[in-house]
Amino acid sequence: MYDPTVVAAVAAAQAEYERRVQEILSQAGGAVAPPRTQSGLPLRTLYTPADVSGLDFFADLGFPGEFPYTRGVRPTGYQTKEWTRRQVVGIGTAEETNQRLRYLMKQGQTGFSVCGMGYANYDSDSEHALGFVGKGGVWIDTLADMETLLDGIDMRAVTINQIGHSIPIFAMILSVSEQRGIPIGELRGTIQNWVTPGGEGPARRGNGSVDILEFCTRHMPSWNNSSISVRNTRDQGCTAPQEVAFGCFQGAYTLRAALGRGLDVNQVASRMSFFLSAENDFLEEIAKYRAMRRLWARLVRDRFGATDPRAAMLRFHVQTSAINLTRQQPLNNIIRASLHALAAALGGAQSMSVNSFDEVLSIPTAAAATLSLRTQQIIAYESGVTKVMDPLGGSFCVEALTAQVEEAAREILERLEAMPERDAFDAMDEMTRDEAYRRQQAIDRGEMKVVGVNCFADAPEDDDAGQPRIEALRYDPGCRDKQIRRLREARERRDPRRAEAARQRLAEAYGQRENIIVPMRDAVTAYLSIGEISRIREEALGEPFVPTTWNFGR
Amino acid sequence: MERSMRVLLVQDSTGHSTGYHVISRGLRDAGMETVLGGAQIPRAIARLAVDEAADAIGYRIMDASPTILVERLMEELERVGLRGIPVVVGGIVPEEDLPRLTALGVAGIFQPGATLDSIATFFRDLAQRTARQA
Repeated sequence: MYDPTVVAAVAAAQAEYERRVQEILSQAGGAVAPPRTQSGLPLRTLYTPADVSGLDFFADLGFPGEFPYTRGVRPTGYQTKEWTRRQVVGIGTAEETNQRLRYLMKQGQTGFSVCGMGYANYDSDSEHALGFVGKGGVWIDTLADMETLLDGIDMRAVTINQIGHSIPIFAMILSVSEQRGIPIGELRGTIQNWVTPGGEGPARRGNGSVDILEFCTRHMPSWNNSSISVRNTRDQGCTAPQEVAFGCFQGAYTLRAALGRGLDVNQVASRMSFFLSAENDFLEEIAKYRAMRRLWARLVRDRFGATDPRAAMLRFHVQTSAINLTRQQPLNNIIRASLHALAAALGGAQSMSVNSFDEVLSIPTAAAATLSLRTQQIIAYESGVTKVMDPLGGSFCVEALTAQVEEAAREILERLEAMPERDAFDAMDEMTRDEAYRRQQAIDRGEMKVVGVNCFADAPEDDDAGQPRIEALRYDPGCRDKQIRRLREARERRDPRRAEAARQRLAEAYGQRENIIVPMRDAVTAYLSIGEISRIREEALGEPFVPTTWNFGR
Repeated sequence: MERSMRVLLVQDSTGHSTGYHVISRGLRDAGMETVLGGAQIPRAIARLAVDEAADAIGYRIMDASPTILVERLMEELERVGLRGIPVVVGGIVPEEDLPRLTALGVAGIFQPGATLDSIATFFRDLAQRTARQA
């Protein structure tokens, strides 16, 4: 990218500069440990063209919308399509969540994202639901709840994101769409789906995640068949290069499973999407998004032989980090989340959810959720950063960091790919737990600063650094009784013969390892509840009842 | 001689398990024995406490209501003959729940921001003043 003679001169001057810096530092009080990113990558305190002399502009960077998409997947970026404002919502029963969604949409929310749907394989009247219903997300028992949840929401106008990959929930979304006369082929949205080891044989019959890939590829051309979710892994403590590597590993694993089902690589990969975090280390995070776009593009083209340009484009939703939010001085979380969101915007996210400052206390209040939406809007409309594409591209530092993250991630990815598949999944868990432990130790020792917790903390008699007392949302324990009433009403209203026929049909489909999506749609349309559906699956497959898995098909 | 302790660690749901695993490792490094019980409902926790001969229970609650779950757990513990076994709650515990949890006899509550050392010290002290299961 640069004239080699210029680079050589710069490198010599840089060495001289660093020598001078060392001299000043040693006079000022001895050796200083070289700085590192939050993930532990070595940093220089100043970057020059000599740090990026190996970059090939066209091969490594290029233009937005061009391979390897380091600078963005669309030629026009945010100029023609803003990122989707997609705050996560999930509170109480479907009624309360619907009200919150409609309120946020009036405030400028443009996407649908609901948590809690189908996380549990039992009904609200089960012993397992005690203390849970409507506490950490919305509770859904039957299609009647999904009808309420989507009431007044134009399914053609918003892109729907299903958190978790519960197949009954996916089937309910399809069912409501059909009720409204909207062909499912026109639906736009995403299911947080990815494949993990399971199922039978090369075609993976019995793995519901692959059923979702197959169904979406054949019938829903505008729906993202997967959302490779490494954001939650990152929030469990892993590093930025691990987030990139784990995402690419799981993405490749998911793609291979789809190919095993006989699907076309271009079709499937074009509709894969990713779910990433936004962490504290601002520069490293921006580098991370760029590095991951480059790594994924090369992986899909070179390893899988994809030829459709869209197949190699890494598109992602970001939910800002929660692990960094603090219960102490909670208003500080507004500042943290703003920086996280800014990194995501500079990194070219397609969709975003900014965590609310009070989420460390409870489900956000309406005011806190709105403030998160305003954070996105202020970045989008006031900061000016969206006017220029990949504005930090070309920064010596960000380009060097992008290459470092990519290289570190590639090494981890190669290690994972060399392992037997189950071992690789275990290894990702183990690495994440190791990092989480290291992180906690670093916080406890004060090596990793957390403002308001291990520095600038309040003495016990202080009042949260003068911050006003936060009134967190209170949980209404009557929520479960209300939900149980909704469940009973749905059971009383349904046609028992139709329910019985759907029950038999679903059991048969499970028994014969058919693609489960259509029989599941029929089952939910007959108002079978999620708990009933789990029992049917359990009996048909003879598998023990696992109270909390997010997928019914594995 | 300082007594070690066998702590049963459980959680209310499978997700958001960072703290659960970090604390398990922290207690082990502090010389305690930990049994990872996973995500369990109160009835199953009580049964596990008996089967595993636990000296104390560490209960991570984040997704559900702490007062509702702990009240049920205390009933279940009484039913299996473990009345008085120390129950320590960690996670996201709303301020308004604190008096009720104390009244239910919870031995300790740790909120986000607690250090591993403070948690290990608490369990170590608990070991000195707690009867062990036979």
